This record gives sequence, structure tokens and C-alpha cells, in this order.
Amino acid sequence: MVRHIARTLAKMIITLFVIVTLVFFATRLSGDPINYVVGQGITQEDRELLTRYYGLDASIWEQYVRFLGSFVDGQFGLSFVERRPVADIVAERVWPSLQLLLSGIALTILVAIPLGILAAIHRKSWIGSAVMTVAFIGYAVPNFVLAVFMVLVFAFTLNWLPVVGNSTPWHFIMPTITLSGALIAALTRFTRNAMLDVLSQDFMRTARAKGLSEAVVILKHGFSNASITILSVLGLQIAGLAAAGNVVVEAIFAWPGIGALLVNAAILRDFPVLQFAVLAVAFAVIIVNGVIDIAYAYADPRIRLGRA
Amino acid sequence: MTRFLATTAIATVLAGSAFAVELTVGAANVTGYVDPGRDHSNVGSQFYYNTFDTLVEKNYDKLQGEFRPSLATEWTLVEPTVMELKLRQDVKFHNGEDMTADDVVFSLNRMYQATFPPYQVRSRDRLANFEKAEKVDDYTVRIHAKREEPLWETLLNLQQVMIIPEDYTKGLTGDPKVAENDDFEAFSLKPVGTGPYAITQLVPGETLVWERFDDFWGEKAPLDKVTVRHMPETASRITALKTGEADLVTNIAPDQLALIEADPALKAAGSATALFHVMIMNANHPVLKDPRIRQAMSLAVDRDTLNEALWLGKAVVPSTHTMEEFGDLYMPGLKTFEYDPEKARQLLQEAGYKGEEIVYTSFPTYYTNGLLAAQAIVEMWKEVGINGKVNVVDKWTGGDADMMARNWSNPMYFADPFGSFGVMWAPKGPSESEGRFNTDEAYAESWERFRFSKDVEARKAAYAELMERISQDPPLLPLYRPFESWAMNKNVNWAPKPGHIPYVLDFRAGSISFASN
Repeated sequence: MVRHIARTLAKMIITLFVIVTLVFFATRLSGDPINYVVGQGITQEDRELLTRYYGLDASIWEQYVRFLGSFVDGQFGLSFVERRPVADIVAERVWPSLQLLLSGIALTILVAIPLGILAAIHRKSWIGSAVMTVAFIGYAVPNFVLAVFMVLVFAFTLNWLPVVGNSTPWHFIMPTITLSGALIAALTRFTRNAMLDVLSQDFMRTARAKGLSEAVVILKHGFSNASITILSVLGLQIAGLAAAGNVVVEAIFAWPGIGALLVNAAILRDFPVLQFAVLAVAFAVIIVNGVIDIAYAYADPRIRLGRA
Repeated sequence: MTRFLATTAIATVLAGSAFAVELTVGAANVTGYVDPGRDHSNVGSQFYYNTFDTLVEKNYDKLQGEFRPSLATEWTLVEPTVMELKLRQDVKFHNGEDMTADDVVFSLNRMYQATFPPYQVRSRDRLANFEKAEKVDDYTVRIHAKREEPLWETLLNLQQVMIIPEDYTKGLTGDPKVAENDDFEAFSLKPVGTGPYAITQLVPGETLVWERFDDFWGEKAPLDKVTVRHMPETASRITALKTGEADLVTNIAPDQLALIEADPALKAAGSATALFHVMIMNANHPVLKDPRIRQAMSLAVDRDTLNEALWLGKAVVPSTHTMEEFGDLYMPGLKTFEYDPEKARQLLQEAGYKGEEIVYTSFPTYYTNGLLAAQAIVEMWKEVGINGKVNVVDKWTGGDADMMARNWSNPMYFADPFGSFGVMWAPKGPSESEGRFNTDEAYAESWERFRFSKDVEARKAAYAELMERISQDPPLLPLYRPFESWAMNKNVNWAPKPGHIPYVLDFRAGSISFASN
């Protein structure tokens, strides 16, 4: 188990390093920040002046080394636009994004797993078909369409829910559903399929034959065996959610999170912020995956007990 | 549940009670910093006028300049190049300090004798004629120009020379006696001015909060608190207006106006912004070297059709690089840009154009309707035989040698042709410096007369010469002044004032009120 965790950590660090490096060089190819930070249309003389001021006159390798150095002091450099430590800027934004991500994950687990189990048990009745139909539709609808639809109905027409910001619990409803909609649909299907695999196993018949109640059979013997598959799928899907989903949701619902910051930093070519924001998202994804990895190991006794 | 802001605001105005009058603005963009000196962006210009004052102010209800006292109560030329200004005596900064000549000299010299690189840039393109400001006594200052200045009031009214506190700024970082670069950087996140509203919260890019400054020297601000929130999506901004989460929202595109007008609880106010969307052409590109080809590219564009199709006819198509705001220098009779496809065909033939591909580069989203205009322009080119192609790039390519044509904008930074055409197309200015525009001695000579003649007619004549040069060897075509709208709750009475530079959110006394129903 310890060796498994150590290996997971090492993988995480290498992945982060590769991402950091890629992002550093990719941003350098995306245009000269002077055009965006200061505005277009300045003389060559002024361009050189500002290039020096923002430290962009150094060679790309020197900038890379300086960039890696900025991890050491914990400030992650200064934003070109705001001229304050990137760490401060990102810190302002991490919590709203994380709140949204966590509520999205919670909603997904609370809705998708019971639905999936339900669909598996009632696979031959209308309940199973209904659940699967809704899940297919949910999977096919892009999240921005879902968001705009909900905004149109619940805010624009009915005026039940607020649409911008994150100041009250009411503000969480539409963004959370938008963020987790496709994930709920996907996870419901995976849960159902995983459960179906397990339900047809011999040990299920044995459990029933022992005279255990149906609930215990389904949840203890059935679900805990299916959970390994479900966990790994959840990990992969959450990664996508944190990386891409937030950007769209935060733009539509004016959510003051990392996604909004990322978009703005990309438009303004605010390299230090862009780099660190991508890094923060990557970090979140890797952490979630790491946690899932360890949970996965815990759920599978072959891994937990080191007999794999 | 959330329809509280506008309604409480209105109720309190009506009842005249002690409740706060608050306003929430949903803005497409919120600035990343607040420093009037270095900023000249359309996003930033929203935020300065409520917060800061200039020495000389304009009657912003009027399209054309009518200057009046602000932080300076009177000003006289004591020598041909020296202006003496008497300062208002009862002015306080938001941090409680009194404003004196020291603050004014500091604020002016931070630009006139700039050492902070972002100030140096702004100083060079518009304030190069000013040598220094000096203190005469606590409430008198003198400003020295290098040459006789025909635009004194205009250039004292600039956003870049708004007045900021000296001691406060210098004390922000490092040595409190010295103005370091970091002081100005820190100021831009903790701005302090003398205006009717103080910025009490700034989350860069996200939220800006103004609260009424009770010690303001002039008429007190009508609102207790204004919260400007970043709402990037147009649909969300409009919805927030409907749900009452915002009372006023910015940047509504013309095709969304019908939605606002259909709702009895909402209304819109708009204007043709004092800014041109332009098409620039690279005079030094091998394919475009012959001016006749660029003339043809320009003559082929039916700008009135673009206006009808993209702006519902609400944009303004100029006959030359001129705006009504220029006052005496407004020249609507001068025609240097027109639509003449027949002439375009003829010029192409004379120039021996052989169907080389001409690429029009466009930002994907930056300018409203920018990409649609690009596609339409290339189709119009096709009509006269130009083999055009649209290239979408999310990057500024104005300085690239292989750039052929692309979209750009020329804002009016201040109400004079010098503040619009002048900043971008000066001899050795940004456009020439980027290698896509050439000037010679004759152009520079016309330019000198346009910039410095004291006689308005002489300036006009010189400007007409420059426009003629531009039309003979065109580096640009001004397409139109885009139409920009704000939408608001029906009870809010607000509209952009004609005397401001584009996008200013003006909530001073007399600029906003609430209807009684």
C-alpha cells in the first residue's frame, strides 16, 4: 500500500513538471503579451522599453529558469496586468471553483449511483428504460446548451433562480447541474453496466442462497464489487470536468473562479497567470485522480493487501 | 428573491428614507487595474471619471468641447508656452489628505517627465509637448510646454493627467520619499482620487465597488454604492437584468436590442461610439506596394451595406477620418473614402493585379461583428476581382511583415483629430514603426501644421492634406463607428454622455437618476 502511494505521488510530480514545461513553451508561441497588456499600436521604441520592463527581453531559457525559480519563493511570479504575485490572484479564485467542483461531484455521486443501481435492478421494466433514456439524452446534450436552457426557463422566464455570481446557496443550483449533467448521465450508465456484470456473478447467487436480505445482497456484495469500475470511471470524468467544464460554466454564470481567470489570462497573454492557472487546474485533476487511485486500491483488496 | 437591488434603490429614492441607494452594474469586462495614467483601454475608461478629477473639465452633456473649471478654478497663459493654473482649495482625496499644488505637480510630472515605462509610452504618444509642471505656491502651479500648444484645455482634460495623491502614492512601497515603479504598480490596485466616488473594493477582472465620497468638493454623488460585477456572457447579463441581479448592463450588441425592447420592464440606451473599426493595409507588402491596389481594396468596400447588415444601420460610416466630437475640426464635407467598384476594377487593371491572394486577418471575437465584416469585405473584393481570403487569428499581427490587411480600431482618446487619427498615424508613430505605413517630409510637414498651428483654419487645411495623402496611398479604411448599447431597468435613467471618451460609466450628480415609476 505504501509503495503504491509513493508510486502514485512520483507519477503526479512528473506529470506536473511535464505540464508546466509544455504550458510555458506553448504560451510563448501565442503572441507578444505587450500587444495585449498595454494595447496594440505602440512604437518599436516603446515596445522594447516595455519588453525590458516585463522581463521578456531575456532568452526563453533564462525565462524558463526564472519561471521554475518562481516556484521556490511560492509567489509564482508577478501578473503582467495586475503586477501582484500570481499566487495571490489564483488563491482568490481557487475556492469558488473548488466549491463548484465539489458540489458537482457530490451531486453526481448522489444522483448517478442510486439511479444506476436502480436501472440495473429494474433492467427489464420501464423504470430501467426510462432511466437509461434520460441518461442518453443527458449525455448527448452539451453543458452550455443545458446551461442556456436552464437560464432561459428558471431565470429569464420564471425568475426563480439567480444567474450570476456565487453569493447564496441558490446561486449553486444551475451551475452545479450544468457542471455535473453529462457526468451524471455517464456515471449512471457505467454504474448500471458495472452492476449488471456483478449481478450475474456466481457469488451473488451464493449470497442470496445464504438467506441474506436483497438490500444487503445488492449493496454489500453487488455494489462494493462494482465500485472499483465506477471509481476509475469517476476519476477520469472528474478530470475532464475540472479542466474543461468549469471554463464554460464560470463564463455563463459569471462565477468568479479559475476558469474565468484562465480565459481572461489567455486573452491578455498574461503568461504568469495563465501558466499558474493551468497548473492549478492540472494539480486539481491530478490530486483527484490520485485520491481516486488510492481509493481504488482501497476498494480492491488485491491491491490493498499487496497481492496483485 | 433576487429582485432587490433596483427595487430597493427606487423605493428609497421615492421614500427619501435613510436606506442606501445602490446600483449593480453587470459589465462585460471589469478592469484588471485602475491607473488613469497608463491606461487607455476601452475596458479601463469605464472606471476613471467617477473616481478621479482632471484640472479642467468639459461639459459632457455637449458633443463638442466646452471647458470649465474642475480642480483648477482658472488658467491663463502667462507666457506663450507657460500656463498658470489656480487650484481649488477645498479638495480632499479619498484617504482624507488635502489636495495641494504638490499633488498636482506630482501627478502631471509622473506623465510629463515619466520614468515608469507604462507612463513613458502614454506620455510620448500624446503629451510629448509638455516639459514639466512646477509649484508656484500651495494653490498655484505652472505648466511649461515645449512649443506653443493649441490644445491646452483638451490635453489638461485627459484621463492620463487625472490627479492622484503624492504622499500616498510614494508611500505605497519602498522609500516613502521617492516615486518608484512599484509605487505606481501598487497604486493601480489601491487607487485614490478626488472624485465623487471612492473605490472601496477592487477584485481585478471581477468586481469593483464605488462608495459615495462624502468629502467630495462638488455636488454629492447620487448613489451610495455601485457594484460593478464581471458578467462575460451577453445572455447572462440580459438575464441578470431581468431577474433584478443587475440594474444596468454594458455591451449589448445591436441584434440583442429587440429582446430588451420587447420587455416592458427594461430599456436600452446607446450611441455610435467615438471609435472607428478600421481595416488596415500593409503598404510595404510586396503584393500591395502599388497604392492603386490598396485604393481598390478600399473602394470595393460598401460600408453602408455593412452598416445596414451588421449594425441595423445604427453605426456611423465616415467620409473621412473625422468625428463630430472634433468640434471645429469636424469635416463632414471632406470625402476621402468612398464606395466605387467601377473605379476599383479600373485601378486593379492599371496596377496590373494578377489575382494574387490577398489575406484579410481578423480577430475571432475581439471586435463586435469583426469576423462577419471580414467575410463580407472579402466577398465585396471578389465582386471587383480581388482574390481575397479571411484568416482568423487570435493574435495581433499588425507588426508582421507578411500581414496584408486586417481589422483594428482607432479610438478617440480625446476629442481632437490628434487624439484619434493622430495617435496612431503620426510620423514615426505606432503604425509607421510597425512597418506597414510610410511617411515622408511632406507628410511630416503637414503633420506639424496640423498639430501645432494656432489657427483653426490652418489646422483644418493641414488635416485635409493628411487625409488626401491617406486616400492617395491608403494604409487604412475607417469602416464605421460601432453602435454600443447599455440596457437597464426601466426605472434607471442613464445614458452615455456625448462629451465623454468611449465607454465611460458616469454616475456623477446629474448623470443618473431613478424614475418615479
